[in-house]
Amino acid sequence: MKRHLPAVLVAGWGVLNGLLLVVLAVYRENSMTYWLWGGVVLVVELAALAVLVSSRAGTDQHVRYRVRDRGAGGVLPAAIGLLLVALCPVYGLWLLVVAVPLLMLSVALAVHGTTARER
Amino acid sequence: MTLAPHTEPQRDDAGRPVPPGSWLGWISTTDHKRIGLLTVGTSLVLLLVDGVFALLLRAQLAQPEEGFLSPHLYDQLFTMHGSGMIYTVMTPFAIGMGVYLVPLQIGAPGIALPRLTLLGHWLYVLGALTMLAGFATPTGAHADGWFSYPPMADSVHSPGTGPDLWIVGVCLAVTGSILMGWAVLWTVLRRRTRGMTMLRLPVFCWSMIATCLMVIGSFPALLAAMVLLGVGRADPDVFASNVWNIGYQHVFWFYGHPVVYVMFFPYLAAVAEVLAVFSGRRFFGYRGTALSLLVFAALSMSVWGHHMFATGQAANDYYSLTSIALLVPAGVEYFGMLGTVLGGRLRLRVPMLFALAFIPQFLIGGLTGIMVGTPVIDYHVTDSYFVVAHLHYVLFAGSAFGLFAAVYYWFPKVTGTLLDETMGRLHFWLLVIGTNLTFLPMFALGYLGMPRRVVTYARFDGFGLLNLLATIGAAFLAAGMTVFAVNVLWTLRRRHLGRAEPAGDDPWQGHTLEWATTSPPPRLNFPADRPLPPVTSFAPLLDRRKGGDAA
Repeated sequence: MKRHLPAVLVAGWGVLNGLLLVVLAVYRENSMTYWLWGGVVLVVELAALAVLVSSRAGTDQHVRYRVRDRGAGGVLPAAIGLLLVALCPVYGLWLLVVAVPLLMLSVALAVHGTTARER
Repeated sequence: MTLAPHTEPQRDDAGRPVPPGSWLGWISTTDHKRIGLLTVGTSLVLLLVDGVFALLLRAQLAQPEEGFLSPHLYDQLFTMHGSGMIYTVMTPFAIGMGVYLVPLQIGAPGIALPRLTLLGHWLYVLGALTMLAGFATPTGAHADGWFSYPPMADSVHSPGTGPDLWIVGVCLAVTGSILMGWAVLWTVLRRRTRGMTMLRLPVFCWSMIATCLMVIGSFPALLAAMVLLGVGRADPDVFASNVWNIGYQHVFWFYGHPVVYVMFFPYLAAVAEVLAVFSGRRFFGYRGTALSLLVFAALSMSVWGHHMFATGQAANDYYSLTSIALLVPAGVEYFGMLGTVLGGRLRLRVPMLFALAFIPQFLIGGLTGIMVGTPVIDYHVTDSYFVVAHLHYVLFAGSAFGLFAAVYYWFPKVTGTLLDETMGRLHFWLLVIGTNLTFLPMFALGYLGMPRRVVTYARFDGFGLLNLLATIGAAFLAAGMTVFAVNVLWTLRRRHLGRAEPAGDDPWQGHTLEWATTSPPPRLNFPADRPLPPVTSFAPLLDRRKGGDAA
């Protein structure tokens, strides 16, 4: 039982949500709510399965991995570029003139590897 | 101790490294502690900004027929106060705590996906600024409340770019929270040190698992709602029929209820950790609490319709049933907290004071939540000040007290210095008085029929005295927050000048692994010359002090 506890937990979480959905069906709620909720339960279950598979496939991954730090200099230009893209519906597509070069700059910085020397 | 992970040294192809203390070093950091600090610091600044908005609202409502604020400005302020506190203060602070603490508590040298976490942080910051930028537009900031129902929020009834900026800002801030939440979840699931099994995780880590599950599960629904609102603003025909007006509410509240627990679990867990440490005993009912958090998270996604009772478009019986069922996991958590305190040797330091006040104050918020989760009561008090009082007892009297317990508790770990105890106690008492004086009268106001979101009220309504009391309470809150800000800034200044007394690595006799490292922790969290204690339970340092295996 202890060995299979993670799988039981993931399955239990799905069953609990499924049970609640069935009870909701008894009350004949709007069909949209089943799609909304059921879709989310499915996505979270798939993510949980991905974690389970990952933990089985790489049992020592938790102590043998790289602490990434390269290329983080590109993150802020990327965030600003994404903001400008998001603002396009408000202020117009001309913002892409600024956003696209910024996004390209962020890619360049990520590839170039600018980073904080933190040790 | 965990094996030293591979790190990426400054290789020849590493590009141009920048000094860590420089501004570029901070904004491009991949150190989870710095990202966490940036997030928590940003949240605290926004807490003060949104708090000032609240003070302006209370000043306007202090007297009947007051004209201090214009109606439109009042609408903007309550919208930016509510949406700011939820989207850009309490949620990011909770996740920021996870970013900082989770790797330390599980003995990991870093967070999984640090660059994604950093991107999440910056999206959050830019989102918050974009929301506030609405004030600079000719028509002002968004003014339709934090849930912004259509058709009120469509472009016909709410013209201007302020609402559009708000939608963009919310989308960015929430996307940032999702990215950070995913990184925290992956870290706690896949970066635990040797011996740190799931049932040896600290309570705070369990709370972050449940929190991040809700973030990943429910926050995309808010993005969907915002996209729907944006599309509807571009084409008002979308909201011409009731299909998407009610549809918007379903999608929004599918996010809107779990987010309450996102803004609650990490603070509850911080309180749990503080109660255990300052009671000198292991947290009571650990397994039950861990399980109850997961059940809580699952149930939280089944109750959203109770926000829609008054629409007549939701299955009231079902949502009332599931809402009341939330009492079961909540009761388990309360049982755990009380079981920890009872019989313990209490040390009434400032974090413990905040944690103890959390228990009864949050109880008021929780029990009134059950009341408004019952349709017959909800019909009477919906959209009244009763609801305002309820949510502030949950989020301020509850969560914010947990937040301050966490700040006072972990401040010495983060900075190596204790916050001043006297100012901390003053802060605490001002907040206790201010909180209850502000929000308790609102229950009566709501029950007597004062609607929320009104700019003023008539003299003959009879709401004057209770509103005046609430405004006096808000002044106490402002004084308390000023003392807190002075305490933090004064302590940091003294530390900077080298006049602050070092707190030591473990000033509180903590139970969890973050107290086994230096204060502040080094870049990779645990010094190579100081092995981690064996992880034999969810309180490994307590085990080590007691010299036994208590798993």
